[in-house]
Amino acid sequence: MTHLRLAELNHLIKETLDKQLEPTYWVVAEVGEMRQNSSGHCYLELVEKEGSQVSAKIKATIWCYTYQKLSRWFAAITGEELRAGMKILSHVEVKFHELYGLSLNVKDIDANFTLGERGRRRQEVIRQLIADGVMDMNKSLPLPAVPQQIAVISSPTAAGYGDFIDQLQNNRYGYSFGVHLFKAAMQGREAAESIITAMHEVYRVADQAIQPFDLLVIIRGGGTQVDLDCFDAYELASHVAQFPLPVVTGIGHERDETVVDMVAHTKMKTPTAVAEFLIGGMQQYEAQVEDYGSRIFRFAEQVVREKTYQLDSLQAQLKYAVSTQLGKSDQQLLRLKENMKQAVRLRLQTRQQQCEQLHTALKNGALSQLDKARTRLDTTARYLDLLSPEHVLRRGYTMTYVNGKPLATQQKVATGDTVTTVGRQQTLTSIVTSMEPRENA
Amino acid sequence: MPKKEKSYQEALSQLEAIVHSIENETLDVDVLSEKVKTALDLIAFCKTKLRHTEDTLRQAFDEE
Repeated sequence: MTHLRLAELNHLIKETLDKQLEPTYWVVAEVGEMRQNSSGHCYLELVEKEGSQVSAKIKATIWCYTYQKLSRWFAAITGEELRAGMKILSHVEVKFHELYGLSLNVKDIDANFTLGERGRRRQEVIRQLIADGVMDMNKSLPLPAVPQQIAVISSPTAAGYGDFIDQLQNNRYGYSFGVHLFKAAMQGREAAESIITAMHEVYRVADQAIQPFDLLVIIRGGGTQVDLDCFDAYELASHVAQFPLPVVTGIGHERDETVVDMVAHTKMKTPTAVAEFLIGGMQQYEAQVEDYGSRIFRFAEQVVREKTYQLDSLQAQLKYAVSTQLGKSDQQLLRLKENMKQAVRLRLQTRQQQCEQLHTALKNGALSQLDKARTRLDTTARYLDLLSPEHVLRRGYTMTYVNGKPLATQQKVATGDTVTTVGRQQTLTSIVTSMEPRENA
Repeated sequence: MPKKEKSYQEALSQLEAIVHSIENETLDVDVLSEKVKTALDLIAFCKTKLRHTEDTLRQAFDEE
């Protein structure tokens, strides 16, 4: 029976492969395990999966020199380091080594393929988030009036975290922040899960905090371009989108925004920028307060000015009114005085005229009375004169006295009584001889 | 549980209301000065609160 030594068989395999295969192929595969040894060579596995089942697998090597060039180029295009789990399009040479067996020698990797591949996965995640109705959920939360109590998810040792704290602590306005750190791994395979755990913790603590958190900040170290895929993962993005506090990201990367950035309330490029955003929020609030203040004081001043002016003008009006009134009163007084003077003068004149009239009337009255009296007197005198004994005597009458008394008054006359008869020319003396009473006496 | 402090939003709303009432209503001078005083207090409150908080930069989990 003919037989081959193993070395001969392996040599045959090698020869057959060399003869049958093209020198190189472009192969689409996922990076399985991957490590770099001390000499700088990169050893990896390329796999193909159907669902979660691995359906094909092969070892591959990227030699040190190629790897250095390739990895730099790859990171520059995709924004990420080449790592396990990535789907790549690689340019390979199939090698069979008698001692080490079959492996692929990776000569090149098309970074644009990976970019496109990742883009497709990202689109799927985004589509799912939209279908869930959570894509804009976090964005619709109102930002707090003042972002002062901050929950931070970060790795405490990350340079970015240090920068963030530094920036907040030394802000030039002297604002005070309450920062509460929730530790999480921000890179590697467990990053997404670790961040989600930290978010649950924030939610739990928020309930018991003295001051409720105003915001959740997710920041990452920055520095070298490393694994950012966790920020494109559906689970993490979904949690961020539905978190009850506004989420601000500062993941620190140069490439297009991650899905977490897209669903977060506000996306900042770096942790430092997040700190500036928070400081800016406080500043904006303070500016608003100051603006209200200055409006109030400006207006109050204006009112005081107006009121002072009003008072002044009232005072002036009052002064004017008083002096006018005084002037008027003076005039009135003068007029009254004048009126009174005139009235008195008039009244005096009237009285005087009345007096004069009375005087005249009195005089006239008296004179006429006198006249009348005189006339009456004259008449009476004349009448009396007619009645006087002289006058009667002159007319032939005589007066008779008995015993020296007028006969008319003498009731008893006796014979022998002396009778005296007075006439115009002479007086006769007789003696009574007889008497006879007169009839009708 | 300490008495709940006035929130920033409340302070801002009150200031806003004062601005509105001062700028749009005719106020008695006494009322005006009362409002100005309230505004001063609110502004002082806000400015102080922005710069002093009870638990500044506390590392929530470091104590564990």
